[in-house]
Amino acid sequence: MKWAAGIAILGLVVLMAMGTWSLFPRPDVPSWEEETTAWGAENAVAAIVLGARLWDTLFEVLVYAMAMVGVRLALRPLRQAEPQAPLPETPLLRRAADVLLGPIVVFSIYLAASGHLGPGGGFPAGALLGSGLLLLALAKGAERLGGELHEPALELWEYGAIALLLAVGGGVVLLGWRGEHVLLGADFLIAVVVAIGAWVVLHNFASSRGEI
Amino acid sequence: MSYAIGGVVVYLVLGIVGFLVRPRWLCGALAIAAGGASLALWAPGFPEAVLGGTGWGVSVAGDPLALGMWALALVIHGTALLHERARPGAFHPLLTLLLGTCLATVLSRDLFNLYVTLELVSLLSFLLVGYEGKSRAVWASLQYLILATVGMTLYLLGVGLVYGKLGTLSLSSIAALGPGLSAPAVAIGAGLLVAGAAIKGGVFLFGLWLPPAHGYATTGVSVVLSAVVVKMGVVVLARLSEALPVGPILVALGILTGFGGLVYALWERDLKVFLAFHTVSQLGYLLIGFGLGGPAALGAVLYAVAHGLFKGLLFIAAGQAIETTGEREIAHLADRLAWPTAVGLAVGTWAIAGLPPLAGFTAKGALTAGLLLPMKAVLVALSVGTAASFAKVIPLLRPGPKREDSSGGVMILIVVLVGFGLWDFASRPELRQLGKWAEAAGGALGGYGLYLLLRRVRPRLPRITLDRATVVALVGAAALAAGLLFLG
Amino acid sequence: MDGMAASALAIALVGLGLWTLVRRRNVIWKLLGLNVAAGGAILFLVAVAHRPHAHPAIAELGPGPSADPLPHALVLTAIVIHFATLALSLVYVIFLTERRHSQDVHKLEEER
Repeated sequence: MKWAAGIAILGLVVLMAMGTWSLFPRPDVPSWEEETTAWGAENAVAAIVLGARLWDTLFEVLVYAMAMVGVRLALRPLRQAEPQAPLPETPLLRRAADVLLGPIVVFSIYLAASGHLGPGGGFPAGALLGSGLLLLALAKGAERLGGELHEPALELWEYGAIALLLAVGGGVVLLGWRGEHVLLGADFLIAVVVAIGAWVVLHNFASSRGEI
Repeated sequence: MSYAIGGVVVYLVLGIVGFLVRPRWLCGALAIAAGGASLALWAPGFPEAVLGGTGWGVSVAGDPLALGMWALALVIHGTALLHERARPGAFHPLLTLLLGTCLATVLSRDLFNLYVTLELVSLLSFLLVGYEGKSRAVWASLQYLILATVGMTLYLLGVGLVYGKLGTLSLSSIAALGPGLSAPAVAIGAGLLVAGAAIKGGVFLFGLWLPPAHGYATTGVSVVLSAVVVKMGVVVLARLSEALPVGPILVALGILTGFGGLVYALWERDLKVFLAFHTVSQLGYLLIGFGLGGPAALGAVLYAVAHGLFKGLLFIAAGQAIETTGEREIAHLADRLAWPTAVGLAVGTWAIAGLPPLAGFTAKGALTAGLLLPMKAVLVALSVGTAASFAKVIPLLRPGPKREDSSGGVMILIVVLVGFGLWDFASRPELRQLGKWAEAAGGALGGYGLYLLLRRVRPRLPRITLDRATVVALVGAAALAAGLLFLG
Repeated sequence: MDGMAASALAIALVGLGLWTLVRRRNVIWKLLGLNVAAGGAILFLVAVAHRPHAHPAIAELGPGPSADPLPHALVLTAIVIHFATLALSLVYVIFLTERRHSQDVHKLEEER
């Protein structure tokens, strides 16, 4: 059977190469400046992700959020069954967390606010904040931090942000909302969703260790 | 357009809010109501609109296929909601989101948007299949996940090729650009797109994850998956064939999946896995119809709705049977079912065998109207095979000792199925000819005869494992791309 | 790196990833292979967007050829979706490891 797989993969690679060969030389890119400024952004990718193709971005955020729900759901029975020994604490991590957490939070807010000016949108801001929370968790102990971060409140924030994002999306798509303030709102909402989602995933992974 | 998209947005918002609100089924029920209102407002369809501006935006349009799928999705959601109304936790919000996304998928006419919505549909399906945390279901779910990602990787490569050559993601623009598959990049890209969608849709050789996933999930989930979600792959394939001339490929895939699924169904002993293999086979009718286009495509839409209804009914009845008796094997379930379940199974079997006057018969009639003889022969052969494989369910239709039956879902589906069938029957005078009835009856009897013949035969069918499924899917994809390149 | 070299790399990654997916028995290796293959597909989309001597589609970077912004946006979405799917599949692997005490596909496939 392995030769069948090999031939199939080789075939796919060759066919892809043939197809790609015929794509070059590439034609010119159509002009994008006007459309970009019409959306209130300064780079085209933000105008597309947060504006023209917001209908895609909504589903993408839902994919992300539902994956987080799935992570939480699937790992919950495992954590309840066998509580794990806490991760060892190190003074180095604790100092690092003390020093870095402030700048991380400030920088992630800055990133969220300027998301539509760079190509990322709210995503890097959320990822940064989520990683910052993970750093805090590693320093203080995941279970203690999990207890301190009130989980139902986090859920409320997350689902609330997604619902608001859906509403904004509806506004943009159906009512034709445009402009920098729309992009800004979408930025922040996405950052919140991504941050909470990243926290949930990292927290769950850090507290459950699959042992054979 | 606004009513439809607005309806989708409301559906999704209610799904999200459902995570925070008790009782859990409430937001789902509200969503169904909102969806119904939206459907009433945008029926019978709306012309293509671009969300977000013409250059980069996402095209959507409403057509009979979308209409049928919306109606089906709402009915099935209601049935599943009723059947699983006591289930706590995230189940109902997930279900609502799943169906809301299906509603969005059937409206979409954009190559990449189809990818995104299909991924969300798959993700929600993974979650629901593995929901109860039984190892067998989780493994089936993981297999589904891996194969689906392979499919979507191929699909993305296809998007890259087609966009690279044609410069647009909108299916109508691609169709307008023509002349189709003459450019090698577009031909290979189209092959990869079709392969990816086929893997997602559970077509026989491509999507061998389907039988375990549908078979081992809980009843409400199996119903939704088999009745609605599986059609999403077919919808994407149908949309692709609107933009690119891949019709003959769809017909070939349809024949492949029709007979392939049947071969496994004829000898499958677990009731729910049997029904799942049947779903694989029934996709054949849909693909053939969409591949041929024209009036056959409309027949395929009808069949999609009809199949959703009777497959849903069969799964609910099967789930009921398994829950009350604790047995999964068909042979062991004989004479043990309560009468509502048995009636449900009987009506479903009657419909799937294509007997008048139910929806199976009318939809098959619409599908086969005006077809040339070879294709008609193929469809008749499929019908005979279907009847043959269902013959072993007949012993189950004798009700056993009376048992408490708490599911109203069975009743709803029976009513809707019978109602739909009768309405369709009444609106098609050509189906009242005795010849057609004789054809259907002959097919069913022929099937029973085939069953008696094959009863003694016990072939060793190759077992489906993850590696084999992956390799087969890749071989199929390479064959599709190469085929479209050289024959397109 | 120009567009053609990037596409070639992308296709090679896809082939390598799919080969790993098929040939390895350990589920985590399979997921790694799948990850690499998906990365290859994403790189392919970016390569399609590239133009010779192009700058990114940011307004301040002045005249001159710019890269096509649409595939860049698609890629952002694809990466997020892919990450989410990978996270979920790893979680299922953790679950199966705890319950079935194996990551070998052949053992997981046996009926319980």
